[in-house]
Amino acid sequence: MLRFKRITAEVQLIFAYALANILSALEYRSAFIVQVIAMIANNSLWLFFWWNYFQQFPLVNGWQGTDIVILWAVAASGFGVSVAIFGNARQIPTLIMNGGLDAYLGMPRAVLLHVCIAATDPSAWGDIIFAVGAYLLLVHPDPLHMAIFIMLIPLTALIYTSFMVLLGSLAFFLGNTEGFAQQLFGALISFSTYPMDIFNGFVRVILFTVLPAGFVSFIPLQLLHHFSWPLLGILLGAVAIFALGATTLFRTGLRRYESGNLMGAQM
Amino acid sequence: MQTEVATARSAGLITRLKRRVRLSTLKYLAILHVSILNNLAYIMEVFFRALLLVVLVFVLTQLWTTTFTLHGSRVLKGFSIADMIWYLVAAEAIALSLPPLTRRIDQEVRSGQLAYLLGRPASYVLYNYAHYLGERLVRLLMNILIGSMLALVMAGVPHFTWQGLLAWPLVAFIALSIDFVLHFSIGLLAFWSEETQSFSLIASRLTLVLGGVLAPLEIFPQPLRSIAQALPFSAILYGPSRTLVHFEAARLGALLIQQCLTLLIGTFIMLTIYRVAVRRVNINGG
Repeated sequence: MLRFKRITAEVQLIFAYALANILSALEYRSAFIVQVIAMIANNSLWLFFWWNYFQQFPLVNGWQGTDIVILWAVAASGFGVSVAIFGNARQIPTLIMNGGLDAYLGMPRAVLLHVCIAATDPSAWGDIIFAVGAYLLLVHPDPLHMAIFIMLIPLTALIYTSFMVLLGSLAFFLGNTEGFAQQLFGALISFSTYPMDIFNGFVRVILFTVLPAGFVSFIPLQLLHHFSWPLLGILLGAVAIFALGATTLFRTGLRRYESGNLMGAQM
Repeated sequence: MQTEVATARSAGLITRLKRRVRLSTLKYLAILHVSILNNLAYIMEVFFRALLLVVLVFVLTQLWTTTFTLHGSRVLKGFSIADMIWYLVAAEAIALSLPPLTRRIDQEVRSGQLAYLLGRPASYVLYNYAHYLGERLVRLLMNILIGSMLALVMAGVPHFTWQGLLAWPLVAFIALSIDFVLHFSIGLLAFWSEETQSFSLIASRLTLVLGGVLAPLEIFPQPLRSIAQALPFSAILYGPSRTLVHFEAARLGALLIQQCLTLLIGTFIMLTIYRVAVRRVNINGG
């Protein structure tokens, strides 16, 4: 019962922060709108490239134009939700290096969750709008597929967030890893937006282990093509492993954390 | 007598002008030198940044290798797979060397730092150009170094012509200058807009997709190919990369005309924005 109450309280906190973050972003309304439109245009430009590519080469290892749309829709929605709600996860290396975690340690909340939800990036809403729009307008899904798509969004978002936390937490052990984390996260994004079938066996192993691109693109795509419970089980297992790994690494690292005596407050 | 005085005056004027140009050049070369040294001090950061090039070139190489195999041909639109890999390295090396120029100008405008820089005995535009070049050259050289090693492993020794190798530094330098004009102008928009990063994002995406970083523009279907070739974005990435991989004298001439025109028009627009923007600077002391 106590555990249930705690979970409810944490979920309420996530919603409260998400609302506060979006209201804060909307204070600069025109900037918010420009960022959202720019992100939609940015993603659309990549789809434009793929549309032209498939005009020239209609089939790549069984992949068609709509597969790329689904791939981009799943990846962009997962990334968008991850950054819109857990947008501060990207700042973890900086917070560790500057002693910025001090402001969170005294609060009666789970530190990692609190750190992750403390900020948002308005452009993430552009990713979400693009993803849903592209999926609806270009794939024309039936209600069942739309339901599966919506179910996949939080799962891929959790993998993206966990990966960001894993990379960020390395700063507890290795010092300033901000650049390294950015490069690896960039690699994850790159690999998750290209057809998986262009990669050979060894690279595929990496994409399902060290760099979880397969779990945020290939498996969701397969689920949207031919839904199967075992495949969903694999995805849920991967989400659990990455989330647990990220939480454990952050907690272990937090024991090594030294305060920077930084005066600050988390409002 | 009058003619002699006029000749002496004009000779003095030319000497002073020459001296001024020489001192001015030395000043901006010194800024360029300091900028290069600053970036060399953080060479490991530059190295880590360049690793993304390895990932992107690897992914695109896999895509094009699959495409070549399925197409059943060794040459696609005049490019062999080895040409394609070297083209991708050349294009990505330029694309990924862009420093966060727009963000810096945006912050200088918002924080008021611009007002302090305007008071210095240096042109704000040229100061930033020298600073930008220093940063970009270090990144570009690192990208070329890492990209070349990758391409040597994946595609073998390139078949560049000596003309292509000689022309590339010139066309690449003009391309970097066009990129400066584009992103500096966007940064100055901070005088009017709350948000400039989004404009920069769109400009860089247009440069990547229509500029030919994912594939040579020959791959695009018509009429998009002709449109993309006519747009200024192709002068930044496609033109220089193609010159290096597939040198053609006639194409080089056309590229230089396109680059010079783009740079000239771009500089005119940038200076117009700059002049209007500087009139809006308010100094409130402090």
